[in-house]
Amino acid sequence: MYRYDAVDRAVLADRTAEFRDQVERRLSGELTEDQFKPLRLMNGLYLQLHAYMLRVAVPYGSLNPVQMRALADIARRFDRGYGHFTTRTNIQFNWVRLADAPDILDALAAVDLHAIQTSGNCIRNVTADPYAGAAADELEDPRVWCEAIRQWSSLHPEFSFLPRKFKIAVTASPHDRTAAKVHDIGLLLRRGRDGETGFEVIVGGGMGRTPHVGPTIKAYLPSDRLFSYLEAILRVYNRHGRRDNIYKARIKILVSALGAEAFAREVEAEWERIGTDGDLPRAEVDRIRSAFTTPDLGGAPSSGDFEARRAAEPAFARFVRNNLKAHLRPGYGIVDISLKGIGETPGDISADQMEVVADLAERFGQGDIRATHEQNLVLPHVRLEHVHEVWKGLAAVGLATPNINLISDIIACPGLDYCALANARAICVAQDIARRFEAPDRAEAIGELKIKISGCINACGHHHVGHIGILGVDKKGEEFYQLTLGGSGAEDAAVGKMLGPALPIDRVTDAVEAIVEAYLRERTGGERFLDTLRRTGDAPFREAVYADAH
Amino acid sequence: MPTLIRREGAGCAWADDTFVTLEDEAPDPGGDVIVTLSRFLAEGEALAARPAGRLGVRLEPEDEVEALEGRLAPVVLVALSFPKFRDGRPFTAARLLRTRLGFQGEIRAVGDVLRDQAGFMVRCGFDAFVPSDGSGPEAWALAAARHRHVYQRAADGRAPAFLERQGG
Amino acid sequence: MKALTANRLSDGEVVFWKDGAWVERLAEAGLFDEDGPAASAEAAARGQPTLVIDPYLIDLVDSSGFWAPVSYRERIRALGPTNHELHGKQAEGGGAVEALRQAHGAARSSGRVNLIRRK
Repeated sequence: MYRYDAVDRAVLADRTAEFRDQVERRLSGELTEDQFKPLRLMNGLYLQLHAYMLRVAVPYGSLNPVQMRALADIARRFDRGYGHFTTRTNIQFNWVRLADAPDILDALAAVDLHAIQTSGNCIRNVTADPYAGAAADELEDPRVWCEAIRQWSSLHPEFSFLPRKFKIAVTASPHDRTAAKVHDIGLLLRRGRDGETGFEVIVGGGMGRTPHVGPTIKAYLPSDRLFSYLEAILRVYNRHGRRDNIYKARIKILVSALGAEAFAREVEAEWERIGTDGDLPRAEVDRIRSAFTTPDLGGAPSSGDFEARRAAEPAFARFVRNNLKAHLRPGYGIVDISLKGIGETPGDISADQMEVVADLAERFGQGDIRATHEQNLVLPHVRLEHVHEVWKGLAAVGLATPNINLISDIIACPGLDYCALANARAICVAQDIARRFEAPDRAEAIGELKIKISGCINACGHHHVGHIGILGVDKKGEEFYQLTLGGSGAEDAAVGKMLGPALPIDRVTDAVEAIVEAYLRERTGGERFLDTLRRTGDAPFREAVYADAH
Repeated sequence: MPTLIRREGAGCAWADDTFVTLEDEAPDPGGDVIVTLSRFLAEGEALAARPAGRLGVRLEPEDEVEALEGRLAPVVLVALSFPKFRDGRPFTAARLLRTRLGFQGEIRAVGDVLRDQAGFMVRCGFDAFVPSDGSGPEAWALAAARHRHVYQRAADGRAPAFLERQGG
Repeated sequence: MKALTANRLSDGEVVFWKDGAWVERLAEAGLFDEDGPAASAEAAARGQPTLVIDPYLIDLVDSSGFWAPVSYRERIRALGPTNHELHGKQAEGGGAVEALRQAHGAARSSGRVNLIRRK
């Protein structure tokens, strides 16, 4: 965890005071709704269907137990005892009163949390590999760069009224767990020939109405030139991004209109004019690095009775197979906590559950908790000898569902149950599919299969990059769902292709099952769903879903 | 009733506005005038040679600030227009005017100008404002001084946090 | 038949127009069977920007003797989220809530479509 200093705390205090003043002016009528809306959005406050929703930033997905308990407390005092983790690794409270929002922000600031730039046409919460600092395949901890980006982008005087929202992801592993290639900027940490670190810079990926896998505009950017280069990208975008049409305002439209090479040339020209004045001194990067607490991973701990229990307890073995990942240190593991209990709302977590996660992180996880863009949580540093106890603790509150990366580990946006923008519900579709594939042996036999559901074309549920994507549409006043196949948000990023006509809500789960059955018939060897689909094309799957419609 | 607020030291105060904004075809009434960028580019020398009155140029968001490069000598004021307060281009224009073009005259925010943007505007180099929300100088002074620390370099010479932390 | 709805400024609660004031239950809302009075109520509501946000008219159909919104979006607003049956207005249960749950009209509310167009 990055430890705030007095400067960081003062920034939050001043921002909270500013927002309190803005809320008071809105309630008194001094500010109109048109004036207030962009101001509240820049602080993550939406008006949804039933109430205000406050989106709290979880910078690069990183939380400590004190913060998690504070979130639980806010859920109880100001909401209905729960929160919702999002695909931007933020947490949302769904039942917030406008008048309470400043008090919530004070409560957040007390534990170094905030809602700055969780919405609005500004640089949003930067996301990182949830296994950062723990992944066996990582080059360097990307969170140092994420924190530097968080600070640089916070209340940026020049880039707070961009043409549209702007999302940055950073990863340092060859296996991309951030969906970097579908971000406005994806930064992939690379080791240069000189042994220094740098970034491959991808610009202009995105989802929404016009999904793009972003092109690489710079193969290697030395890391100490990162901030001048980001400034150059943002300036070119702020000046030249379209502002006449909200659906064409993201940077992906600018990049594809100019072409990646021409866009890169503009950025290079601007970068040259900025020079090193735009860079962060190395001393500050080092200060940020040293402000991160380092987990105590000393020695090679004994794995205790881990192997024995794994052999003796099939349920524990299943949890280990699916939810425990390789740690960079022998004797440790990364524990994935699924927020996708069968029949539950994807990403939802109750205040009681938050407190259990906080306790387990404190006792067995070096006080480190992560949120993932797949709406799950992670304890990144758990000794193998403690995994069994963590598992039992999680199971006691329904958080030990052994389904990471399996068919019931579904991303779903809040959809029409909450969201003012949605056209159709997403949660109930996810719940229905998860129930259909509840049997864990069957889910494991199917293997890695990522279903992602959005309730509208804005694609908060990442349906474009779902192995199976499901998009809710409004067809003459009824909820219909379009299926796409073959998307991926990983290092092999791809946008899914539409399978056929949209289906009514009561046919969606059957269609998913038909697709799965077709995959099981077609697959050879150890193929994942995505491998089989890429080999066969979508014909067998289209046939399976639409055959009876012929 | 004044409508112009100027930054004075760390505060803000009402100021008399002596400038008249001229449309492209309008006759020059003499005195202090603000002309459009296209008129400035077309009639720059004649405007610079006016016997009395000072010269300002008004840029719309789509105007490239670089068009003024090397031609700012007779200009005492650049007005940057916000057709909508959500249009962020004038922030870039102001910052480049200060840091890249070295402009030291007045940079004035006109159009849909709200006090809630004061902090950002001052940081980007604006020093005069014609608010559209009825706000006065006290509110602008308060909003501009709201944040005790800033994380970025900009055009106002404030030391960003990373320099403060190094005791610089 | 129509009703006039909005979200309350102070807490975002879904509210319905009734004789110049706002109520939380659709079952208590004022009803309009003519366009003229509906439009004047909407205009009056627009003049209350410190009480409500974005008032608009919704279309209603009969459902088991209760008036229910023809649009499923509006039914969700009048009930609460379908994934938490104890959250939102539906928590109090009863005949009016049940009638809303059973309603199955399928159309958008023209009032909201117009509201979006105006923006």
